[in-house]
Amino acid sequence: MTAFSRSLKFSAIALIGATLYAHAAQAPQRIDVKQMSKRVENVVVPLPNEIFGALNKLGSVNWREYVRTEKSSNFTERPRIALLLGTVIADGFIAVQAEDAPAVKEIGQRVLNLSKGIGVGNSITPHAKAITDAADKRKWENVRQELDRTQSSVQAAMNEVHDEKLSQLVSLGGWLRGTQVLTSVVTKHFSPDGAELLHQPDLLVHFRAQLQAMPEFNLPIIREIQSALDEVRPLVDVGSSHISPDSVRKINEITNRLDSGIVTRD
Amino acid sequence: MNGFTKISLRVSLLLVVCFALSRGAAGTVDDAQSFALQAAEPYVKEGFQVREDYWGGDLGSGEKKAVRQQLFKGNEYWFWLGTEVERAKVSVHIYDSEGKLAEQPDSWEKGHFAAAHVIPKSTGSYFVIVAVEESPEERTHWALVYGFR
Repeated sequence: MTAFSRSLKFSAIALIGATLYAHAAQAPQRIDVKQMSKRVENVVVPLPNEIFGALNKLGSVNWREYVRTEKSSNFTERPRIALLLGTVIADGFIAVQAEDAPAVKEIGQRVLNLSKGIGVGNSITPHAKAITDAADKRKWENVRQELDRTQSSVQAAMNEVHDEKLSQLVSLGGWLRGTQVLTSVVTKHFSPDGAELLHQPDLLVHFRAQLQAMPEFNLPIIREIQSALDEVRPLVDVGSSHISPDSVRKINEITNRLDSGIVTRD
Repeated sequence: MNGFTKISLRVSLLLVVCFALSRGAAGTVDDAQSFALQAAEPYVKEGFQVREDYWGGDLGSGEKKAVRQQLFKGNEYWFWLGTEVERAKVSVHIYDSEGKLAEQPDSWEKGHFAAAHVIPKSTGSYFVIVAVEESPEERTHWALVYGFR
């Protein structure tokens, strides 16, 4: 290598370094969280498969144990259907984790029926078909994507007709079912990293505030969820400490109770 | 058809065309989303699952907005920001719950696209800060999508 090409290479490395430094210099290393909290306008609710993905990396999980396909009660109250719909979509993600094609297809059909019950069936029909097709071909990534699209379409259709609160209940139903399964898995095979996945205090505050703003949905299950969120919050809002095995077990009991309330008639 | 009706029809048609053109030029948050998804495209091939939902709005030049996001240790995340205003410059940065910059050095900004890469050290709430750094428009649409693996 000539001296010229060596110096050229060195210059290139220096330039890349300078560019990276310039980029790093653009973003402040710290922000004032209290100040920023006032400007937060959106809170993103994770999908169950996001939590399941992290859980899977901690060790193999026997997902078949958590697959559920039995039919739940038929409800006429729209808030109850919305909660159940979120739960059933979460069941779909569990069935995908278990790679259980018949369960996925059955859940796809249930999602469609519940969506019809809440008046947004039209937007779901193509997704239900895509779920069935992808499950038949065992294309699990496509099923996951279609379940995500299903939830997104249901919520968009609800938002379009100003049913934002029902849309929020769909997210809440999915989150509760995801948390129930997460705590079941971690209770069976406890690890501090597994328990740490429950560290979601801001989401609890977010759901609590949303429920508070739904006085028109005066149903026992809604009130039960509200008080359950208050029970769960101190168990997960532990700062930099670990969430204990006992807390995980308690949250599992609470979410089991809520799940049973969501899927069965009062 | 008399002269007055003809003129009225032509004027109405002209107004409709002008309105449609101005809407087209102004763009929408959906347009911004298609640019955010364009930025995400190469990462899908690397196994990132991009969520269907997206977050968006409009900001003036120099304005910021914060989105709070729950991230899980063990997952790896990319956030992609886009706008349809091609001469705009946008940025996206991620901070942990204590306000410390939490993104990886390979996060990038390129004109009307920006992306932030996060491998969370702990499970918890993070702040996603989106900004329109510069723009020739008074208000600039933005859309944020994210993916994980």
